[in-house]
Amino acid sequence: MKILVVDDSKLARLFLIKTLKELEPGAEILEAENGLIAVELFKTEKPSAVFLDLTMPVMDGYEALKEIIKIDPNAQVVIVSADIQAQAQSTVLESGAKMMIPKPINSEKMLSILQQLSI
Amino acid sequence: MQQNGFTDDHLDMLRELMNIAMGNATASIADLLEAFGKMHIPQILISDMEGLASYIQQTISIDQRNYVTKQLFGGMFSGEFLFVISEESALHLGHHLYDVDNPSDGDILDAVIELTNILSATMISRLTEELNTKVQFFVPSTELINGNALISQEDIMNYHRIIIISTQMEFEHQNINGHIFILTKDGMIESLKALIDRKLEELYA
Repeated sequence: MKILVVDDSKLARLFLIKTLKELEPGAEILEAENGLIAVELFKTEKPSAVFLDLTMPVMDGYEALKEIIKIDPNAQVVIVSADIQAQAQSTVLESGAKMMIPKPINSEKMLSILQQLSI
Repeated sequence: MQQNGFTDDHLDMLRELMNIAMGNATASIADLLEAFGKMHIPQILISDMEGLASYIQQTISIDQRNYVTKQLFGGMFSGEFLFVISEESALHLGHHLYDVDNPSDGDILDAVIELTNILSATMISRLTEELNTKVQFFVPSTELINGNALISQEDIMNYHRIIIISTQMEFEHQNINGHIFILTKDGMIESLKALIDRKLEELYA
């Protein structure tokens, strides 16, 4: 299983990857530091799930989500963001994200996410 | 690369924690304004006083008058929270919150103070919660001054070595935006570094 982790913060990516590896030791984890790289990786690597931040340089998560959903309308995209506004959540869910989780994420939350995703 | 003993990891961690803190603050203000706020990537800079003056000059409109609210906070992480909002944005804020065409100066001032209280309490509390520490807040003060006066004020100029954590609050459709600076200095920089080190140790464990 391939999982794509997208965040401009190296430590935020590291934290997510560490949590993912604990729960899915066999997963191949791909990383991207902005939305543009994420979209390119999504096209070429076809990951089973994407963990996507919203506030990023170059291309933000809103735009990247739209591009990913254009490529695969059934993409399993989880938004992991510090933006906890209700409107941010409704926007990403309308754009095709499967769920939105506030940062920081812990093992318990991650387990629940992985159980809910169709991967 | 190191800035005054801060590695890229320290700066990245601080930026990420600030992002989480700002997310909480933006959500609280969005509830108050019944609006949607755009999130910006926080900037972290370790600097001397000249650097601060130059940074503020580049960030805010120094030619126009701004409401500047300052609030000190103390604890293992202590410093000063500064919220700068232009007179025009503050007018829009007063108009939006009081639902009147021409809010009085008193209404505008109240609106700015209320907004700043929510911002500082939410941001600093969340930031310190993530750093596993606590802070005490002191009474804030607000005044309407021009940008040049902000830079030259004696209390701000007191800083020697300084961490500037800055971000922007932006409610585009309401024409309300302001700049947030968290300033911490000298000995506190070491305390902050120690707190971040603890977070990094947890991460790399």
